Amino acid sequence: MNTLKIIPQIEIPDHLVGEVKSKLAYVDEAIVKAAVAEDGKEITLELSEAVDELSRMRLEEKVQRVVTSMTQGAFKPNVQVLEDHMAIDTPYRYDPTAKLMECGELSRETNGVFTLGPLITRLVNFFEDKFLNLAASFDAEPYRFPTLIPARFLERVNYFHAFPHSLTFATHLREDLDAIDHFAQQAGCDVHGNLNQPPQSFAKIKTLLSPAVCYHLYFSLADKPLPGGKMIATAVGQCFRYEGINLTSLERLWNFTMREVIFIGDKDFVLENREISRNRMAQVFEDIGLAYRVETANDPFFIGEFRKQAAFQSAFQLKYEIRARLPFKDSTLAVGSYNYHQDFFGRHLNITLPDGNPVHTGCTAFGLERMAYAFLCQYGLDYEQWPASVREYIHG
Amino acid sequence: MSNGPLIEQVQATLAEALQVPIEEITPELALGDLPQWDSMGHMEVMMLLEQKFDVEINPDTIAALVSVAAICEHIGQNHSTS
Repeated sequence: MNTLKIIPQIEIPDHLVGEVKSKLAYVDEAIVKAAVAEDGKEITLELSEAVDELSRMRLEEKVQRVVTSMTQGAFKPNVQVLEDHMAIDTPYRYDPTAKLMECGELSRETNGVFTLGPLITRLVNFFEDKFLNLAASFDAEPYRFPTLIPARFLERVNYFHAFPHSLTFATHLREDLDAIDHFAQQAGCDVHGNLNQPPQSFAKIKTLLSPAVCYHLYFSLADKPLPGGKMIATAVGQCFRYEGINLTSLERLWNFTMREVIFIGDKDFVLENREISRNRMAQVFEDIGLAYRVETANDPFFIGEFRKQAAFQSAFQLKYEIRARLPFKDSTLAVGSYNYHQDFFGRHLNITLPDGNPVHTGCTAFGLERMAYAFLCQYGLDYEQWPASVREYIHG
Repeated sequence: MSNGPLIEQVQATLAEALQVPIEEITPELALGDLPQWDSMGHMEVMMLLEQKFDVEINPDTIAALVSVAAICEHIGQNHSTS
């Protein structure tokens, strides 16, 4: 393995060490592993192959660009903890991934893409049941959304600027008999799994795989007044966020499932219901025995927008993350969030209240695979060690 | 920063940060009233206020300085403009 050590031109402050590390995944295809020293003074990259001096200089320049863009003039967020149940004693201390793979509960198809076995599926169903109860407590209207989303929708809400790094594109063969015949006869994969067909075989990209659930609802409401001026909806959907070398185990999936309860109305309506959903879920998590905390957070904006958007989100407390404890690494994992978008979608999509002002929106969102993974990290695979409420649901 | 009443200096700063004609920066203007004064625009405003008026940017000021009036009041109370 070829290792490259880089001293950042700007020391990375402790609150940004994790954020910078996660963005290093997008710097260069040669990077197979990236680490940032805890004190923020050194970056270590492991490369798939030796690079010449020119390539090394280019790579270092890109790394410095990431660091400078994210840290220069960065505002330290004032992280507020709204709930702290981290001290709950849970019996398991290991990463369950290896055991899950061993017993066929988890099967890796490619980076960040996993097949789940019966145990994890039942756990996912258990959590899904809890979230459906939350939705029912609001009389939320059920919706079903497609997995594909038009590029022009995401363009309209500035998604390409904010999260270009995590997009997943969908295309198909061009409507051309020669191209389709050629594909049928010649298509295959190389040793790396790459399809051996030229880009011109494929149609121009007009659709992507959806990165979020609630966007579909906002787009369906675009360019008209919101009937009644308020609504609460719920939906579950497949979401896609590419994270390169960060895609490891069930912690970070390229393809994951999200259940959302979505609030649309005026500011007070959205904020009030976000708070109600947080309080209701606190009771659910207590019954389950989950060790977690809820704290203010920001979305993983790309480097160009990160510094400003993250500071804005943090200052206005637009995002509260539910972070479950991962005892084996003395860390936490975001398993859900309570979000307030202000009137961002109302303004960009021209969705209006009866008084003509743009609607405000918010959502409560849960990553189902991450919920199951965090639970297994805390309680292990032995049913006997599980809280009664979970055991009884799964075993009857 | 100096020259002119505080409100005019603030209006000029916001016009520069948001890249809009100064006429659009009315004394009643608030975050969200102009398409340019969105989250990104707000942070541009914050950074230019820091540069020109030595306003400290922290979560409290980012959340509080959301209108021309609030910015004028904050600067008037906390900072010398001469």
